[in-house]
Amino acid sequence: MNSSSQSLELFFDFLSRSYTTLETNFYKIPGSAVLARYVRSSHQNDPGRTLLEIILIIFAIRTLLQSRTRGDQSGKHFIQFDEKEIDELVDEWAPEPLAQPLTPEEQAELASVPVIVGPTGPKPKLSSGKTVTNLASYNFTGLAGNEDIKAAAVETLRKYGLGSCGPPGFYGTQDVHIQLEQDIADFLGTEAAILYSQAFSTISSVIPAFCKRGDIIVADRGVNFAIQKGLQISRSTVRWYDHNDMESLEHVLESVEKERRKRKGPLTRRFIVTEGIFDHDGAMSDLPKLVELKKKYKYRLILDESVSFGSVGRTGRGLTELYNVPASGSVANGLSSCGGFCAGSSIVVNHQRINGTSFVFSAAMPALLTVAASEGINILRNTPSILSTLQENVRAVRAILDRVDCIHIPSHPASAVIHLQIRWPTLQVPTHTTSSPSKLSKSNPLSVKPRDPPQFNVELEEKLLQDVVDEALAQGVMITRAKRLRGQELIEVRPSIRLAITAALSRKECEKAANVVKSAFVKVIGKRR
Amino acid sequence: MPSRPSPIALNPASPSQSIFKKKSSTAMSTAASYLSAVSEADARARKHGGTPASTPALSMSSSVTSSSEDTVLHDDGHLDFTDGLSFPRKPPTSEQVFTTVHAEFGHCANEDYRYTSQHRKGVPYKSIPEQDPPYYILLTTYLSYLLVICLGHLRDFVGKRFRAVNYRHLLPWNGYAPLNSDFDSFYTRRLKLRIDDCFSHPVTGVPGRTILLLDRYSPDYNKTMIPTGTRTRALNISSYNYLGFAQGSGPCADAVERCIERYGVASGGTRLQGGTLDLHLQAEALVARFLGTEDALISSMGFATNSTIIPALVSKGCLVISDELNHASIRFGVRLSGANVRMFKHNDMNALEDLLREVISQGQPKTHRPWKKILLIVEGLYSMEGTLANLPVIMELKKKYKFYLFIDEAHSIGALGPRGRGVTDYFGIDRRQVDILMGTFTKSFGAAGGYIAGSKTIIDRLRLQGHSGVYTEAMTPPVLTQVIASMVSIMGITLPAEKPSSPSLALLRSSENTPVIPESEVIPGTAPASALPSWMPLSPSMIDGSDGRMRLRRLAFNARYLNRGLRKLGFITYGNDDSPVVPLLLFHPGKMAVFSRMMRTRATPIVVVVVAYPATPLVTSRVRFCLSAAHTKEDVDEVLRACDEIGDLLDLKQASGERWPVEEIIKRAVELVHMPEIP
Ligand SMILES: Cc1ncc(COP(=O)(O)O)c(C=O)c1O
Repeated sequence: MNSSSQSLELFFDFLSRSYTTLETNFYKIPGSAVLARYVRSSHQNDPGRTLLEIILIIFAIRTLLQSRTRGDQSGKHFIQFDEKEIDELVDEWAPEPLAQPLTPEEQAELASVPVIVGPTGPKPKLSSGKTVTNLASYNFTGLAGNEDIKAAAVETLRKYGLGSCGPPGFYGTQDVHIQLEQDIADFLGTEAAILYSQAFSTISSVIPAFCKRGDIIVADRGVNFAIQKGLQISRSTVRWYDHNDMESLEHVLESVEKERRKRKGPLTRRFIVTEGIFDHDGAMSDLPKLVELKKKYKYRLILDESVSFGSVGRTGRGLTELYNVPASGSVANGLSSCGGFCAGSSIVVNHQRINGTSFVFSAAMPALLTVAASEGINILRNTPSILSTLQENVRAVRAILDRVDCIHIPSHPASAVIHLQIRWPTLQVPTHTTSSPSKLSKSNPLSVKPRDPPQFNVELEEKLLQDVVDEALAQGVMITRAKRLRGQELIEVRPSIRLAITAALSRKECEKAANVVKSAFVKVIGKRR
Repeated sequence: MPSRPSPIALNPASPSQSIFKKKSSTAMSTAASYLSAVSEADARARKHGGTPASTPALSMSSSVTSSSEDTVLHDDGHLDFTDGLSFPRKPPTSEQVFTTVHAEFGHCANEDYRYTSQHRKGVPYKSIPEQDPPYYILLTTYLSYLLVICLGHLRDFVGKRFRAVNYRHLLPWNGYAPLNSDFDSFYTRRLKLRIDDCFSHPVTGVPGRTILLLDRYSPDYNKTMIPTGTRTRALNISSYNYLGFAQGSGPCADAVERCIERYGVASGGTRLQGGTLDLHLQAEALVARFLGTEDALISSMGFATNSTIIPALVSKGCLVISDELNHASIRFGVRLSGANVRMFKHNDMNALEDLLREVISQGQPKTHRPWKKILLIVEGLYSMEGTLANLPVIMELKKKYKFYLFIDEAHSIGALGPRGRGVTDYFGIDRRQVDILMGTFTKSFGAAGGYIAGSKTIIDRLRLQGHSGVYTEAMTPPVLTQVIASMVSIMGITLPAEKPSSPSLALLRSSENTPVIPESEVIPGTAPASALPSWMPLSPSMIDGSDGRMRLRRLAFNARYLNRGLRKLGFITYGNDDSPVVPLLLFHPGKMAVFSRMMRTRATPIVVVVVAYPATPLVTSRVRFCLSAAHTKEDVDEVLRACDEIGDLLDLKQASGERWPVEEIIKRAVELVHMPEIP
């Protein structure tokens, strides 16, 4: 008994001593006196508040510690089940099949894709055994099958092997990549350029590398799918202007500026995103006007030149040659190799070396394709006649097709990609509106849908156009419908046939092919009119 | 260019010629050498006969190098005879025929240095238990980050006031917001820049067993890098070259050369719009056969395979369950798809099951409608961790919870499994039970691009609905050929019926002591010769699959050897013993740079990959080795010795457990590799 009280006494003694040391130590911490005074006074004023604050702190710590992935469980929508109920629910759950089988139409679509046997080029052989004139494949400058490029590629193969076996950051950057980046930058007259290993993945990585949540992007309503995906990933605020309509663009820029002034928000990054030549219809941007507006409203311009690079300009530099602006583009289409690039100032380029997702997390381009592209640039530089031949061929084809009643061509006269849409007699279906819309009916910049969307019957037109394609193929000309992922594009694009003109064909051959296309159109569409 | 003669070239007769001579006197020892002799004679005859134009189908030419000069590299970089990089330290004996360039694909004839990568039946999968380092390591790691961050902010603070020009691109200027705010770029400018000499090092030549670094220096603390014009050959344990197919010579390169002559380099647009070649169909059929699935499709970039195909599989109303360490391309694809995403702790099967129970019972958020589909996405082999997806458990869970399974085999295809068929092969799981097998050709096959394999219904749907068919450029012919040739090397070829009647081909079977695989288990089987392009030159080692088998078995040995060797030295590593990706934990950010620089400046330079936050959690900075079949045992020895020295210097050996001195590890390598478990 006695001993126990003694030990208790000792214990209390120890407690009080440790309390005093704790207290003195606490007061040694700078600022602690203030804290103690605050707690004391607040406790005096309102004892309930101390309790509240303690609970608050505990709650904050709890939320912090809680694993984020299980956040839903505490949500108010969470329903508590016991194990047996969960087992039942699991048993009951029946997922949809991962993929729906193809419908007969879709099967036909897949079966109708032509297969080239042997090399691609202006006159490839198809799996049916037929040799055809090729107006479907991208080969603007006719570099496919070029012997110099082949020789350079073989030499590179022997020196570098095929794959680069690593992302650029981890020993995947080879001297040939640095060389091609330099070549592209020199060719386009920019400070620097960066290579991506696929054209499609270029722009969809470039946009989110710069545009973050809260930034403002003003985009054309007709931008291609890759850009749409880039916009989606970026999570920026997107405002839309009417397709290739500079008045609408100016109006949208004005409204964004007004909005900003009203809200007095901080200065955010602002971008205009559009294409040089539009993949969807071959229309060409009015670059001088774009540049003027961009400067006036202090926007940055992201220009996708996937189609225009290697197909317009005196030596194929694209619109930038015509108007001198940095851009991103496609090595695949323009130089008959594979991959894409983004050219601009070195700040812009170096930023992407760390922030361009598909640059950082993907292997560098195979060396031989890189060298093939460098060689391609070389050839384009030294042979301006390639581009003049291409332009001549484009003019020859347009001269024939422009005059056909049942064809509407939205493409720019200089575009090597020519889209052919069905022109219905005027009263039946409203014609496509490329002329300036009336000032009164402005589209809503918040929505991607234009004010007066053109009306058309997708299924019917696709089917007719496929008939045209088949008919042309039977006559020895390979062309293709412009394929779209229906339902996934932000706005439905009017069905069209897409011709890709090449410098590898002679003017005569182009005219002959155009006449075949023309008669196929007349045969299929003409009889329905 | 002063090219000194190689020591081997000084030999009066080249090995293969000597073999030929020997063969004519003694009996044919192996079928392969017989064949090489035959085809050589054949090639010579053709050269003299002068009928080059049409090579007969299935000609077996040009694979066997006629002179040993081809097996060493004539580069104009400095030739060092002592580092063992360009030339083997021990010259080959007259028995040994090497047809590869030593600098690309090391000469290693010792059959003991082989192993089969396979999961032991009946043992649950587990990766090496992750060991935590002592607390002082963690503490000092945090402190060093703290220090660097404080210093960085201090420098920014001062710099912005006194040297504003340097900060102009980070501040609003002339009415433009900065392209890159100083906060966003802080990590890059103030942390990464300090050790930028360890990243993006430019190289040249074949990224094979060795690699040529283009030397550079920085006069201004890594802001600019200036090439010095010199080159250094270094041992390459960084490239994703698991099976060593990164080669500038050999059967695959020969096939690619033939292809370029025939096809050029362009494919001409998207698959559905005039860009489909016969080669695409052949390659796709071969991939399907390789994997034993009904069908497969090919896309021209591995990253895009994920980012363009996942959106076609799932959409709004679907759920994606994703391992927290999944690759950026998967996250990219999932974000585009619009599906809901939940993540679970890396490879934690209990967490996965809990999550599955929760999401299935709760249904979609707010509405509680049942999910349309649930797709589980995992990687076969995690490239930063070296861990494998725990497939045996996942398959169990799949039966019970009815989710769909998508395995990204970017790193595991070719690199794992007794037949190189990836993680399913490693665990012995039927590939048809997995809904989607995705993989890339960038790694094991030395090519580029990726594939998706599965049932015909799914693949056909993806051909039409995936973004890749309509919008992305098709794979180019040379890359397709590399894919075909390397894949065929692993598979072996069934020749048409009338062919094997020739005696040389009948000898093809049983040329190497292969693990006995019952016929029923050769699921994917060999490639029928009729499925290959008729112009493709085939080599005997490709036909009988001996080349591929050798590669698989060498890789398996190297992987296990380095994994276990490092652990026996006392390092903390992650992952699985059979993983060719070996992460070694460094913890301190500062040690990354030192480690990388010390490895690079050794007598035998070694290039390594160091990774840190944000690619890994903050404290677990690491160096990552990627082994290859091209490495010889001596190369792995070299790495172990280097790690041993540097590890002592940097105080990296923090793991508990029994340790061996490095020379003992090297001596007992074969024993170490064959131990079922190491204590
Ligand atoms: C898991 C995974 N998926 C996809 C990729 C992308 O492959 P590629 O480099 O071929 O674009 C990688 C490459 O690092 C990867 O690790």
